[in-house]
Amino acid sequence: MSMNELEREIATLIVEELRLDIAIDSIDPAALLYSEGLGLDSIDVLEIALVISQRYGVQLRSDDVQNKHIFSSLGALANHVAQARTR
Amino acid sequence: MIVRPLWIDQAERGSRLLMQLMVYLALLLGRAGGRALLYPICAYFLVFSRRARLASTSYLSRVLDRRPGVRDMFRHYLCFATTILDRAYLMAKRFGYFDCHVDGADMLLAVVARREGCLLFGAHLGSFEMLRVLAATGCPVPVQILMYEQNAGKLNSVLRNLNPKSSMQVIALGRPQTMLLVAEALARGEIVALLADRVVTGDRFQLCPFLGTLAPFPEGPMVLAAALRAPVVLFSAIYRGGRRYDIRFEPFAERIILPRTGRAEALRTECARYAGWLQSHCRDAPYNWFNFYDFWKHDKSC
Repeated sequence: MSMNELEREIATLIVEELRLDIAIDSIDPAALLYSEGLGLDSIDVLEIALVISQRYGVQLRSDDVQNKHIFSSLGALANHVAQARTR
Repeated sequence: MIVRPLWIDQAERGSRLLMQLMVYLALLLGRAGGRALLYPICAYFLVFSRRARLASTSYLSRVLDRRPGVRDMFRHYLCFATTILDRAYLMAKRFGYFDCHVDGADMLLAVVARREGCLLFGAHLGSFEMLRVLAATGCPVPVQILMYEQNAGKLNSVLRNLNPKSSMQVIALGRPQTMLLVAEALARGEIVALLADRVVTGDRFQLCPFLGTLAPFPEGPMVLAAALRAPVVLFSAIYRGGRRYDIRFEPFAERIILPRTGRAEALRTECARYAGWLQSHCRDAPYNWFNFYDFWKHDKSC
């Protein structure tokens, strides 16, 4: 599956922020972000949340009932940002 | 670098029922009676738990700089068992059993007064549970503790029954939103405490000099503090025997800064500073060390 523009932008942010040693194009937007898939841990999730908040003005909160879905994949995260972004 | 699980899968010995009985007896008999029960229990573990004996020997021979005898190991177990027994009394709010000497509380309160939150780094050293004394008496903000619930789960659930509305709350490690909870607690100006000495499966670590040999120390706590730009204070509560605990807060960093270039170097420096702090406490109170697994073992191959 190929990425849309926002997915690519967020993938780039994540790879840069977390200093991941992977090519942006090799990321599957449907793959899991946490544990398996990209193999991110909870501190990585926090760093992503901080950079997403800075870049798009979207606050990711611990008590959001959608969290499981939002962090399930790059595609889901991008969808959430697209709906909630203020900049 | 990544390591294999060394402690998280070590099942707790003893059944839940036995623990309930132990806690019941401890509360019924009071602290003197409870402590008397620890002697046969420690003797049992000294004889039958080979793994704990190996870990104790590996640590004690380094910290004491000599081959530890049975007497040293027994003392090590007894110190550990006493702090666990005392957890029950702390949960039951029997603070009167203890003679606590606190050092550095003013410094901590000054940090807390800035309302920007504070991370407390402790270790599996002495009694982390002594934070309850702080949380229940005179701390102006809530204290949250970050820990694995599945590990020591049985004991925790038994203890939690003693005091369901404990003033110290637990943030469970190992979930995607864990660190968001930490960020939100700090944003409310609260204290979040964590044990920064153990490396868990998949954790990135730095090898730091520790009691004469390089040991793996987790990067996570430093990365967390840097991401949240939070001040970090070190916490220890050393058991000195009898009723006495020495609680100490020491400044670690106003901010931990991990620059993009030289990040690994900065991480190593911070981890090594923490390891140095831990080492000085181990030398000062050798029997207060409660990492009963091979702390120095690591796996570089992953």
